[in-house]
Amino acid sequence: MTTLPTTTAPSAARPRRLDFTRALLYLGLLVATLFFLLPVYLLVVTALKDPSVISLDTTWQLPPAWHWSSFADAWAKVSGGLRNSLELTLLATAISAVMGSLNGYVLSKYSFRGANLLFALMLFGMFIPYQSVLIPLFQFVKSIGLYGTIWGLVLTHVVYGLPITTLIFRNYYGEVPDALVEAARIDGAGFWGIYSRIIFPLSVPGFVVVIIWQFTQAWNEFLFGVTLTNPASQPITVALAQLAGGQAVSWNLPMAGAILTAIPTLLVYVLLGRYFVRGLLAGSVKG
Amino acid sequence: MRRVNRDQLTALAVLAPSLVLLAIFVYGFIARTAYTSLTDWGRDPSQALAANPVIRYIGFANYKDLFTGFLDARFRQDLVSALFFTVFFLAGCLLIGLLLALMLDRNPRGEGFFRTVFLFPMSLSFIVTGTIWAWMLQPSGGVNRLSPLVGLPAGQFEWLTSRTSIWQFDWNRLPLVTALVVAAVLVWVAVTAYREGARTRGHVAVACAALLALWALTGGVTVKLLPYPEPHGFNLAFVGIILAAVWQMAGYTMALYLAGLRGIPEELREAARVDGASERQVYTRVIFPLLAPITLSAMIILGHISLKIFDLVFAMAGPDNTQTDVPALLMYITAFRGNQFAKGAAIGVVLLVMVAAVIVPYLASTFRREART
Amino acid sequence: MAEVVLQNVYKRYGKVVAVKDFNLHIQDKEFMVFVGPSGCGKSTTLRMIAGLEEISDGTLRIGERVVNDVPPKDRDIAMVFQNYALYPHMNVYENMAFGLRLRKTPKAEIDKRVRDAARILQIEHLLARKPKELSGGQRQRVALGRAIVREPKVFLMDEPLSNLDAKLRVEMRSQISQLHRRLATTVIYVTHDQVEAMTMGSRIVVMRDGIIQQVDTPLNLYDYPRTKFVAGFIGSPSMNFLTATVKNGQFAIGDSLIAADGTLAESLRAYEGKQVWMGIRPEHVGVHGLSMESRGGDVMRGQIVDVEPLGAQTDLIVDVGGQVLTAKVEGHARFKAGDAVDLVVARDRLHAFDYQTEDALGRRGVAADTAAISADD
Repeated sequence: MTTLPTTTAPSAARPRRLDFTRALLYLGLLVATLFFLLPVYLLVVTALKDPSVISLDTTWQLPPAWHWSSFADAWAKVSGGLRNSLELTLLATAISAVMGSLNGYVLSKYSFRGANLLFALMLFGMFIPYQSVLIPLFQFVKSIGLYGTIWGLVLTHVVYGLPITTLIFRNYYGEVPDALVEAARIDGAGFWGIYSRIIFPLSVPGFVVVIIWQFTQAWNEFLFGVTLTNPASQPITVALAQLAGGQAVSWNLPMAGAILTAIPTLLVYVLLGRYFVRGLLAGSVKG
Repeated sequence: MRRVNRDQLTALAVLAPSLVLLAIFVYGFIARTAYTSLTDWGRDPSQALAANPVIRYIGFANYKDLFTGFLDARFRQDLVSALFFTVFFLAGCLLIGLLLALMLDRNPRGEGFFRTVFLFPMSLSFIVTGTIWAWMLQPSGGVNRLSPLVGLPAGQFEWLTSRTSIWQFDWNRLPLVTALVVAAVLVWVAVTAYREGARTRGHVAVACAALLALWALTGGVTVKLLPYPEPHGFNLAFVGIILAAVWQMAGYTMALYLAGLRGIPEELREAARVDGASERQVYTRVIFPLLAPITLSAMIILGHISLKIFDLVFAMAGPDNTQTDVPALLMYITAFRGNQFAKGAAIGVVLLVMVAAVIVPYLASTFRREART
Repeated sequence: MAEVVLQNVYKRYGKVVAVKDFNLHIQDKEFMVFVGPSGCGKSTTLRMIAGLEEISDGTLRIGERVVNDVPPKDRDIAMVFQNYALYPHMNVYENMAFGLRLRKTPKAEIDKRVRDAARILQIEHLLARKPKELSGGQRQRVALGRAIVREPKVFLMDEPLSNLDAKLRVEMRSQISQLHRRLATTVIYVTHDQVEAMTMGSRIVVMRDGIIQQVDTPLNLYDYPRTKFVAGFIGSPSMNFLTATVKNGQFAIGDSLIAADGTLAESLRAYEGKQVWMGIRPEHVGVHGLSMESRGGDVMRGQIVDVEPLGAQTDLIVDVGGQVLTAKVEGHARFKAGDAVDLVVARDRLHAFDYQTEDALGRRGVAADTAAISADD
């Protein structure tokens, strides 16, 4: 009987120690969650306040009454940009995804001498600061008559999107065994036959990753948008920056505008987060 | 002789449009920018927006102005700011990202929820983030009003409107500081070279370091870029922008680290435990060393993003706030607001050189590794 | 008629020569096996025949046609890949029909051929399944089926069994052999497994470092290896090689003298006083007093290092004057490590190889008749 406490002590201590580290873990996660979600709370709360009740002292308080009209006001200011963004983003995404897929197919299955160097040169285009091409780009877009239209932006997003879409597809097709392509060659398929009947049907996950990535990038982009457009053709990020930049405006409007701007990409992220992360990781090259 | 068959020709034809587009839009435009930066386009306001402006070649005058000209002190402060920004942004992202990844790697309940929460800012535009955080960082609201919620006095930090600059140094000391930093790096290179047994490489590095140090101690001390001292430092107004940037990008580092952690086979940890490692040693001796390559890629990716940072600053502090200016923003303002195209081009080239210094070795090593396998 | 003839075929990758001066005449309906260690060039040769690799030099003829520049799809061949290479997004039926559809074969004909092949391979119940829903053995059959429906002149198989477990491999081995008899088509089969080569091939090409070592029937390879490499590669456990000095036309190993017979004894005379490799297969080494007496061999004294009981036989690892050899003894043997034994070697089964060139000496190197066939005609 006297031995009982000594035998139970160690086994009891162990779970308690584990519980302690476990508690610490959840505390850490809670703090991190607050760090990431507090801005969201403030964003939503402010957007739902009447301008008259917004004051710095009561920043963190819930609105005394739900005030939805900020969204309507913000909508009036950004809806044009939203439509532009939607059009140009979908177009640019579709085109650069298809081109990237074909490029990736060529680079992974029809590699030639010097292909790696060429690919590295292509990839460099994804890292450059766009300020270093902005002036000639502006002149070029203007000279072909696309300044102030969404087509100039579409062209720009397609070209500068090519490196990443090519990269993702090249790596994706790298996982498709070469034997599959060889089997198809013996079965009688040529370049386009192999692409349309073997590679393309296997590409759905690759396309999802690329489309999500390009969609997010093009939607969120600002520098090209602010340089290559006029108010009629500006994308939503530029519209939002103008809405928020006007000092006289009270804070409910920019917050509502920010929510409107964020919703499409946020939706994509929440629904297809797994693929989003894959695109994210693909961006770190890894050959 | 190698016979090229039809499929290979088709393949090249398919690749060609992309190659041509990128050749023009990347390399052609860079060349064009580089040329523009050597001209006087925009120096004469009357010519800047003319239909056929008179543009003259003036050599490196724009660069000389940027680095030593009286009127371009703002650019020099921007460079310093970009470097400080990069250092703190990197440190913040890596530290928080690693912590988050380590926590999630312990398989807590609701892991999927936490991962979603930590990563969602990545899907937002910098403009959205900037708008939210500009509101969060109002001097007498937002973050500063968090402490009263738990009964503490309100924060007093001025965030974006701060005009304080710390860690100032004289721009004239730049050559000296650069020489000493490069010398220090060379010494480090030499040490690793000797350790690997590459004696020649070590000798060369040591010799170069000695030369640099010698120059720094003799000529370097007296070199003057400007006729007067010009202090530059870390503008505290950036603290808030760094905070917002870390908020947005820490999830990315977490995703990288988490992928790395999940890629470490459980067997390896078990082997370490069987070999007598404590839980802490499993991390310090096995896991962290294996994560080192991920840290390097993360540093390179985040580093080049931070050197290019533009939208976030634009949205948080506006384009005209000299306290929170960065080269990428200054380029835009110089060229597209001030119509000083040549000078803007020069800033663009400086940016490109900084980014290329980070990215080119990375790409080169990645492809050399791939070529070997 | 689908002979496959390779004349002076080379494969070079830059400066590296992967296949060197390859000459081979594969008869119609023959089951030809390429065997060798990894990197010996056997797969490269097969892929050149398939048209997946370009031929750097030499000519390749399938049937009456020189096909060096003919794309794979027009060579009238079918190939079975090591990892099967089944199209993951198509079901079994579509996988098998794919090649025929691309050739615009009439629908009814496709259906007939696919169903016939499926019946032969007993995969009729799997036709609607996707590859990922199949077991390894089933995938293997589908890969075979995809080749069969094409009714090609030549089947090419690249290590098709290497991904199966041991039991299934034995089963599929005999099924492929039966299939070959039934279809009566030329088969070229690549493997690194000498057992597969021995059991399946009508003839075998042994390759090493891109060079043909020997082309022969399985039993001739076993009985009359032309080089030390072939002798060691064919047979399991591997042939024993002992360094011996020739004394009075006999092998001298330590204190023991071992006499050879017939032409081997004659050729040894030229090596009097020199070193040679003596080769003897484990199954031709016995323990004095237990077996082999009747073969009239000489005796070597040694010490047992290890005993490996396999049930039907026992392998004894024996140290003879510092050289180690394996002896295969029937049934269970009551030996243990450390025991001294007297080994008997079957005189008519001895091999000898030149110490430098490693070429076989004496009649053991000359296969009775078939070796002549392999030369160009």
